[in-house]
Parts: sequence; C-alpha cells; structure tokens
Amino acid sequence: MIKIEHLCKSYDKKPVLKDVTISIQSGSIMGLLGPNGAGKTTLLSILIGVIRKDSGSITVNGMDLDHEIGAIQTRCSYVPQTLAFYPRLTARENLEYFGALRDLKGKKLKESMEFCIDIGSIQDFLNKRVDKFSGGMKRRLNMAIGLLNDPEILYLDEPTLGVDAQSRNYILKTIKKINSERKTTIIYTSHYMDEIEQVSDEIAIIDEGKLILHGAKQDILTRADTLCGHRNLEELFLKLTNIRLRDEN
Amino acid sequence: MTVSSTMIKLLYILKKEFLLIIRDVHAVTVLFILPAVFILIMTLAMKDLFELHSSVVIDILAVNHDSGKRSVAFLKAMEEHNTFRFHLIEKDTVTESVKEQMLSRDYKFALIIKNNFSAFVNKKGKEKEKNPLELLVNPTVPVQTQLVLKSTLDGELSKLRWDAFIGRIDKLLAFAGIDKKDLKADKLSPIDVQYVYKGGHYSKMPSAVQQSVPAWLVFSMFFIVIPISNTFISERDQGTFMRLRSMNVPNSYLILGKMIPYLLINAVQVIFMIAIGVYVVPLCGGTALTIGDSLGGLILIASAVSFSAISVALLIASIARTTEQATTIGAVLNIIFGALGGLMVPKFVMPVFMQNLANFSPMSWGLEGFLDIFLRNGGVSDVLPKSLSLLALGLVMLGMTLIVLRRQRKV
Repeated sequence: MIKIEHLCKSYDKKPVLKDVTISIQSGSIMGLLGPNGAGKTTLLSILIGVIRKDSGSITVNGMDLDHEIGAIQTRCSYVPQTLAFYPRLTARENLEYFGALRDLKGKKLKESMEFCIDIGSIQDFLNKRVDKFSGGMKRRLNMAIGLLNDPEILYLDEPTLGVDAQSRNYILKTIKKINSERKTTIIYTSHYMDEIEQVSDEIAIIDEGKLILHGAKQDILTRADTLCGHRNLEELFLKLTNIRLRDEN
Repeated sequence: MTVSSTMIKLLYILKKEFLLIIRDVHAVTVLFILPAVFILIMTLAMKDLFELHSSVVIDILAVNHDSGKRSVAFLKAMEEHNTFRFHLIEKDTVTESVKEQMLSRDYKFALIIKNNFSAFVNKKGKEKEKNPLELLVNPTVPVQTQLVLKSTLDGELSKLRWDAFIGRIDKLLAFAGIDKKDLKADKLSPIDVQYVYKGGHYSKMPSAVQQSVPAWLVFSMFFIVIPISNTFISERDQGTFMRLRSMNVPNSYLILGKMIPYLLINAVQVIFMIAIGVYVVPLCGGTALTIGDSLGGLILIASAVSFSAISVALLIASIARTTEQATTIGAVLNIIFGALGGLMVPKFVMPVFMQNLANFSPMSWGLEGFLDIFLRNGGVSDVLPKSLSLLALGLVMLGMTLIVLRRQRKV
C-alpha cells in the first residue's frame, strides 16, 4: 500500500503539490488524471525518489520513503513518458544493461529478459537497433525495461503517448495482465480518459497541485452520472478541472 | 553490494558507453579521424617553418661555359654547403635561353659561369679581369635570400682565388719555410652557431611532427566533451537519467560509468595518434615521430590530460541545458585554450607576453608534458608538476560536477 499524507512541494517558491493525501491499495491500478502542469509527474518523481518533497510523509508497503529509499527503489519501477533507453543500442543490449543495473545476472537476468521480451512482444527485433524501431515498438520496449526487476509497484507515466491503436490496445492489455497475474500495484498517468476508464480500479484527479477527487472507478463514474447526466469520465474531468487552457509557462 | 556485483554493473556500463561511441559516427570523426587528418596536414604544411635551423635547399639553374677545372671545383664547394643544389644545363645554352628556362621551370635563380672563370681564378689569360659569374634572379625572391646566395658565391670564389694564389707562390713559401697548407682556405665554416632562448636555458626545438602530434592529441583528448555531453544530455532529456536514479543507481556509478570508458577511449587516442606520427607521417614525406623512452612518463601525462579533459567535459555536460549548448561551450573553450596554449600556433613563435599567457591553459600543460617525453627525453619527474596541475584541475571540476548533480537531485 502507498500512503501519502500532507505532501507539499514547491519549485522556486511556486507550490506544485499542495497538501496531497491519498492511499493506494496494494494490487490495484490507479489512474492518475490531471491537466498539463497539474503536478502528476512531480508526484511520481517524489514517489520514485528522484526529487525530494518539502513536507509530508510517504510510506510504501510499510517503508518510509525518507529512510528506506534504496529498498523502495529496488521493489518499484518507473517507466517515464519519454523513451528512456539508448537508441543506438539494440533491444537486447538495452535490456541487458538495465537488467545488470538492477543487479540481475546469469540465469536470473536471462529469465527476466525472456519475460520482458515476451511482454513487449519484441522477439523478432531483439538484435535490431532501437532507433530503427517504430513508435509502438519503442513504447513496448520502454515498458518492458520497467518490468525487468518484477516490481511490486509500477509507475507508468503516459505509457501510450504517441502510439497507434494496435500498440495502445496491446499496452493496455499488458498492463491488466501484469496486474492480474503478478499482483503488481500500478500507478498510471494518462491524458486519455478512455484508457483510464478501461484499465483502472481507482481514479484520482489532481489539478493545480491539489487532489480534487479520488475513489473507486465505479464510484467516480456514478458521480459523473450525477453531475453531468451520463457516466462519462471526460465530462466529469472537464467539469472539475475547468475548461480553461493550461499552457505551461 | 558485493564486489562482483559492482564489477558486473561497471562492465555493462563500460560496454554500453563503448557501443554508443563506436556507433556514433560524429564522435569517431571528432575523436579519431579529425585529429589524425590535422596531424598529417599540419606536419606536412609546417615542415619548413619548424625546420628553420636545419637544411633548407635552394635550387639553382646553372650553365657552365668554362672549360677549366676551377669552375667544377667551385660548384662542388657550393654544393657542400647542403643549401644549394645546382641543375646544370647544356654548356652552350645562351643567356636568353637560360632566362626562358628559368621562368618556365620556375627557378628562382640561374647562375651563368662564364668561359673566363678559370682564367679569373688563376689570374691568367686575356679575360682574367672580366666578371666570371652572372646571377639571374627572380624578382619575387626575398632580398635576404638573394644576399645569402650572393655572399656564399663571393665567399667560395674568394677561397678559390686565395688557394690559386697560394699555389702560384708555393716556391716562394717553401723558400720562406712556410707550409702552404697553413695558408689554404678552410673548407668548413669556422663559425659556431648557437641559438639563444628566453630565460637563457637551452630548449630543444620541436620538428613539425613533434609539435603536431602532441598538440592535436591534446586537442582531440579535450574534444571528448562532444560525445560525453551528447550521451549525458541525451540521457537527461530522454529520461534515462531519471530512470537510472529511480533504480537506486548512485551518482558515483553514473560518473564512473562515464569516466572509465572515456579514459580508455583517450588511451586509444594516444596510441592511435602516436602511431600516425611514427608510421603514417613518414609515408607522406614527413619525418617520423620519436617518442622518447619513458613509458611511465607518457602514461602519467596522458592519464592526467585524460582525467582533466573528462572532468571538464562532465562539468560542462551537467551544467548545459541542451546538447547544442554543451557542444558550443565545449568547442569554444577548446579552441580558445588550444590557441592560447600553443596547440595551433607553437609557443616558441609567440611573443613573450603570449608565452606567459599560454601557461594559464591546461592544454599547454598537457602539450609541454608530451614534449618533455617526446622531445626532451624527459621522464616521470619531468612531467610530474604538469601532471599534478592537470589532476588538481580535474579534481576541482569533478567536485563541482558532483555538487551540480546533487543539487539537481535535491530539486
């Protein structure tokens, strides 16, 4: 379980997370929604230990983030929205490299790689340089690398950004599969409401650094029905976050 | 974390960096091909500039109308200076034809030895008073060069006439009890030439290859900033850095992961550039590089240059926001410090204040270190001060890089 209490973070005195309190159940998929600049990526960055919070407390599966960051990072995995690997290396070389940095070696590395190759459906392109991959293949490899350590918690930051319908469908199915087969807790950010509706058990909406809604998917959709007249997540999102454009400056 | 686990991680990091470099055509070009081409071009282009104190040959078209032995002896004496090379044409060639040939064959000088040459030297015959030599000069030849040739011609002619005179009075000398050998003109120049350098101490001049190889080697080693910042900033922009940080990979690994491969790449550069100087330059008409006999000194100075170059590159890469910014800053600094440090223009041709300024360039420390080994047959103790300066610079740069990275992590 991930427990976040009164989390605050500012950049140059500009608050980006304001007193966020939320609990995420183990083994669930939580869809994290929010307009551009809402604070989603900052929240994920704090949870994976890449940037430091200003105040508040975070425990991950009973471990305090401030004191057991190393142990938490070993059990978690983060898949950035950018394609965070080496384009001039082959898919195999990328997997070997990130696997080795996850302390995997020998048989364990091989087994882990086989699982990820299968999950990413990249068997036929293993020895091909990644810069020759299509957008969908790159996204699948990006996610596969995140699964090398068989994480208890997987943070996915817009994993379907810029892919075709087929790859998107494949990635979403894979997320469900990993969650159901391995009981992995998944925190998932996306701008696509239909995706969130499709894969999430819980939904949280964050805007201007504040958590404005959090609950089980069915409860959220019921609320959408009440507020907007039909069970549409996008209409609820726009109603709650306002239709004002959120161009970042 | 066990030692073997650490080693495995480092090996994979090394493998990754090497593969990235090998597959980066631009990096290979900048690190290996560009400096190799520079070494060849600069060595051959500046051959004469660097060999001012050794033999310079002036080619002279010559026609000898004299049928005596004195003119032959005269030409032989002139050629023994190793500065003049005479190209004799047909004996009966007229002056107009000599002029035409001189222009068409691009000679700067033509020497006409007249038919009275031996008579002039021996002071015998009808035409003994007429000038025996005529020098045709291309007007583009510097006055100094004309004077050198004229003086040498005058000198050799005077020697010949003196020896002939001694020959004519040998009976008189024998009667006076004087050995005529004591009066004969010296064949070799009785002048010792000594070059005087600033500070009064003797400093050996580098040849073109001995200036070019270490200069462009140091330059290319510092150009490691291009591939380092390319991968470093790509890792940061593509989120790979963030991913690695989220995997509990310490900063020290990220720094070591950059330092070790590039130290090895710099070592390959050293071997490659030395090989160019030793084996390729002679094939292209230059002289071969001599590398001294201190392997320890060479390793020390090369390691020190490499460490400081990589540290500077890491600092630039960690501060710069974009690859373009890093490569621009890196290239500009390299060119400025290279020019200042005597890599592009040798220090010994700089005015004194520029030579003093050169001492502020780390590239100059590296260049002088390599010259200590290659040129002055120095050893570890000779390159130690320069190496320590470079290592100190590297440590400062590395410390600053770690501070920058730690601050970025704390954001």
